[in-house]
Amino acid sequence: MISLTSPVETWAHRVPAGVKLAALSLATVGLFALQDPWHLAIALAAVVALVLSGGLAFAAEAARSLRILLPFLGLIAVWHLVTGQLAEGLAVALRLLAALSLANFVTMTTRLTDMVAVAAWLLAPFRRFGLSTRALELSVALAVRFTPSIARKGGLLTEAWRARSARRAGWQVVMPLAALAIDDAEHVAEALRARGGVEPPEFTG
Amino acid sequence: MLQLRNVSVKLGGVEALRQISLNAGERRIGIVGRNGSGKTTLARVIAGLQVPDAGSAEIDGRDMARDRKAALRSVGILFQNPDHQIIFPTVEEEIAFGLIQLGRSRAEAAREVQTILAHFGKSHWASAPTHGLSQGQKQLVCLMAVLAMRPALIVLDEPYSGLDIPTRMQLMRYVDEVEARILHITHDPESVRHYDRVIWIDEGRLRADGTPSELLPQFEAQMRLWGGRDDLSDLAG
Amino acid sequence: MERNLTHIALFAALIAGLGLIPKFTLAFGVPITAQTLGVMLAGTVLGAKRGALACLLFIALVALGLPLLAGGRGGLGVFASPTVGFLVGWPFAAFVTGLIVERWRGNLALVSAIASGVGGILVLYVFGVLGMSVTLGKTLPEAALLVTAFIPGDVIKAVLAGLITSALARSRPASVLSRG
Repeated sequence: MISLTSPVETWAHRVPAGVKLAALSLATVGLFALQDPWHLAIALAAVVALVLSGGLAFAAEAARSLRILLPFLGLIAVWHLVTGQLAEGLAVALRLLAALSLANFVTMTTRLTDMVAVAAWLLAPFRRFGLSTRALELSVALAVRFTPSIARKGGLLTEAWRARSARRAGWQVVMPLAALAIDDAEHVAEALRARGGVEPPEFTG
Repeated sequence: MLQLRNVSVKLGGVEALRQISLNAGERRIGIVGRNGSGKTTLARVIAGLQVPDAGSAEIDGRDMARDRKAALRSVGILFQNPDHQIIFPTVEEEIAFGLIQLGRSRAEAAREVQTILAHFGKSHWASAPTHGLSQGQKQLVCLMAVLAMRPALIVLDEPYSGLDIPTRMQLMRYVDEVEARILHITHDPESVRHYDRVIWIDEGRLRADGTPSELLPQFEAQMRLWGGRDDLSDLAG
Repeated sequence: MERNLTHIALFAALIAGLGLIPKFTLAFGVPITAQTLGVMLAGTVLGAKRGALACLLFIALVALGLPLLAGGRGGLGVFASPTVGFLVGWPFAAFVTGLIVERWRGNLALVSAIASGVGGILVLYVFGVLGMSVTLGKTLPEAALLVTAFIPGDVIKAVLAGLITSALARSRPASVLSRG
């Protein structure tokens, strides 16, 4: 499956994932602690410089992922124009842009396998409390493996609907799709058992 | 040596298998029957995935349903639909899974994956996403994943259904080269004509047992006879 | 064990798949995402624990950087956006939904719809409003006001979750694990 990691290789791709995630956590806490629009503007400028350091193509891709903020920025603009608290509105908008860009920057410069490795490292202590990292690993693999196949079946069902109806496919498609997911789950559980199950029998020698 | 003694299985109140007994040690065995005759249930019993309600199913004296550890080394199963078998996003992960289940280290498993891929001339498949493979390619991945575990007996449950003729022929060639014993479940007499022994299952019972040359003509004649009738209207139960 | 695991993984995949189907609209031509319907179904079909775990797995995949949210969104940015609460609240929503279906053995369609309303709207909106309030710097009532427009769409989804769950129970009774 396609991940959101940028194909444009930047210097930040080579920084260890754990370092980037720790820095992101600290920076996000910092952004929410800042209140002064001037300070937040400086922070945003720093984030913009960081994103631009990856090159123009990379920055353009990063900017595209900010589109989801547009309705919220519009909302903030209207709200604070009406209430007259412009400084506050500016602070909120700057903080959102900086926090989102920074988080996207980490996702775009970190490969999926590196991210998984950090997650596994973070979860390792919980093994003592009975968390099965093996079961976790398997369920991640299964979800990644079956998402495209469920989406494809959903596409086929909508096609089959359109072949027999002038109206667009609606919620009725969800029921057979859920049934397919359940069937797949039963079959895969069987295939998993055929090869030893989640907790394979111990082999010594 | 596969030994079934009076195996009966009920699924949702319906008798899927009734008192099946057989001993089989041949290298290539075909099991034929119609849709719904109980073939797949028999495959699941032999692979140890279904515990019989009565009777026993053993391979080399071990109960496959209870002794899962022995089962992993004795029997592998290839399902009808490869989409129900492939668990992992990439080919190498899929093949490595069974090996890790057998207790191999990741490094050992990776080496053995390379060996089996190279054996089939498919080394370039290693990091290919399983989702993007064709149906025939998926079935071959499943076959390699089962073979990698080196079971003594491989159960094939209609592995060629849904494949076009060239794909089926290629896959059959791969299966014919397999060294392990094969128990092939099918409704298509063509795919087991060159086998050592054929067993005919009908309505959950063992109807006939013999060589392909004596049994398959009877089977085909009966299928054509039934094909002329309309038993599609009959509802189960 | 295997069945629990595969059901959890497959429902995470179902929620993802519901966001990926091209040109899929839920009702009346309104392009509302079907993914929260998937969350409700995770609760009504799988039950509290498995449903919550399916949602948790889904969120983990999004955090790792997979574009599984409707419109191909994903990655850590999602957790810095104003809608963060509506995502983080999913496991809790599925849990409460599942718990109600497990405990209240009434008519499945009705109970599932009500449970989806309580879990998928009431519980989920508590998280959603909290998230909005923090990210947008608004008080809780102000933030709540901002999301009221989405409630009618979610009520429709809760009703649909009820219908789909009872249809599933009729077509394959064993599949509704919450009532197993």
